[in-house]
Amino acid sequence: MTTRVRLLVGTTKGLFTFESDAARREWRPSGPHLGGWEVYSALGDGSQSERIFVGTSHMAYGPSIRVSDNGGQNWTQIAEGPRYPEESGFALNRVWQIVSGHPSEPDTLYAGVDEAGLFVSRDKGATWTEVASLTSHPTRSDWFPGAGGLCLHTILIHPDNPRRMWVGISAVGVFRTDDGGETWRTCNEGLARVPVGTPHPEVGYCVHKMVLHPDDPDTLYMQYHQGVFQSNDGAETWFPIEDGLPGDRISTELGAPFGFPIVISRSGDRFLVPLESSDQRTMRDGRLLVYGRRRGSDRWEPVGDVVPDEPRHVNVLRDAMTVDSLEPYGVYFGTTSGEVFCSIDGGVGWDRLPGQYGRILCVKPWIQEGEHAA
Amino acid sequence: MPLEVRIPPMLRDCASGQTRFSITAGTLEEALRRLFETYPLLQVHLYDETQRLRQHVLIFFNGESVARLDHLDIPVRTGDQLTILQAVSGG
Repeated sequence: MTTRVRLLVGTTKGLFTFESDAARREWRPSGPHLGGWEVYSALGDGSQSERIFVGTSHMAYGPSIRVSDNGGQNWTQIAEGPRYPEESGFALNRVWQIVSGHPSEPDTLYAGVDEAGLFVSRDKGATWTEVASLTSHPTRSDWFPGAGGLCLHTILIHPDNPRRMWVGISAVGVFRTDDGGETWRTCNEGLARVPVGTPHPEVGYCVHKMVLHPDDPDTLYMQYHQGVFQSNDGAETWFPIEDGLPGDRISTELGAPFGFPIVISRSGDRFLVPLESSDQRTMRDGRLLVYGRRRGSDRWEPVGDVVPDEPRHVNVLRDAMTVDSLEPYGVYFGTTSGEVFCSIDGGVGWDRLPGQYGRILCVKPWIQEGEHAA
Repeated sequence: MPLEVRIPPMLRDCASGQTRFSITAGTLEEALRRLFETYPLLQVHLYDETQRLRQHVLIFFNGESVARLDHLDIPVRTGDQLTILQAVSGG
């Protein structure tokens, strides 16, 4: 069966795509698409179409969602895209995340945005509505932005129950709904509050990225501002899982393990990219090291020295790392200095994809098999 | 009276691929209203949800910032221009 593998790479200067086959050894870059626009989010819409959604924004001209129906050759803007009502006083600054809804709701898409909020489309992206129950949460007055803004950057949907979802907001925390978005509750117990200077104890938690275990939707993993955490009860409580990682939450000199992305393969292997510290936000000693924690293991290990011969004093942003759904799975990430790397051996060996780009904001896989891959 | 409108190339997809076009209006106020009625996405990129002109956007009428005009009830004459620019920032 023919397999078509694409990576959608959003940068500060447009979208780039990379195309390969199941071997993922040779990659053909294309772009820039939408040159000059920041692309914070991208979604290849399933396996049966050539539709791509991207969240574009610009320092002067603001945000919008754009869609291509032919794999990126032509683009149109969504006329009725996410937009706060005038009376809300909120302003949309960026579209940080676009994800498909639950498989039982194939026309549904969700978008997470800055200024923090969740929008939903029930008509395949044509029109969008604010999930106002989240934006009007009783804690809203105490939501305080992280360094990347007041962004809703993570949207997770329970695989068996479309009414249960989690969202992550920096530097606010995790919220969960169990009734399809009608009500939300905070889920930050076990996390240490960051110094946001606001009094409400339910919020003030700087979640950087969160993923759901592929086989156990009660299990979530999180790269937090101050450490790496796991929940075994649907985010009711969190506990640290940091053995083997650089950093030490006891030592004031090193601090808790710091980084932005965390990803998980369908087989349950987890990967992240630790940074020096919250202050420096670059690779420790310039070594671009990927850490992994294999399924069943209780320790993180430095599995991949990505560029062993050269220093890389760079960062990897929260949405700039991903894992595809193939077997064996591929791991990918892009750096703030515009390089894209790929591993198809579990994060041990890494290839650099051709070209160098602007600051890489998001990396998303798009797999098509069979007729639509030809 | 036709008024020439110029917009930045990055916003051309808000105006059917054009960066220079004309609209017909009797006054500047009517010209702006017709511009955004004809090309509503342009308004999304120039104004935020609170209808404030975005911080780094300038709209010039014959070389003068519209934001600094006392009123918009200005008759449009032959040769008038409305120019939308990104305010110079950074660099």
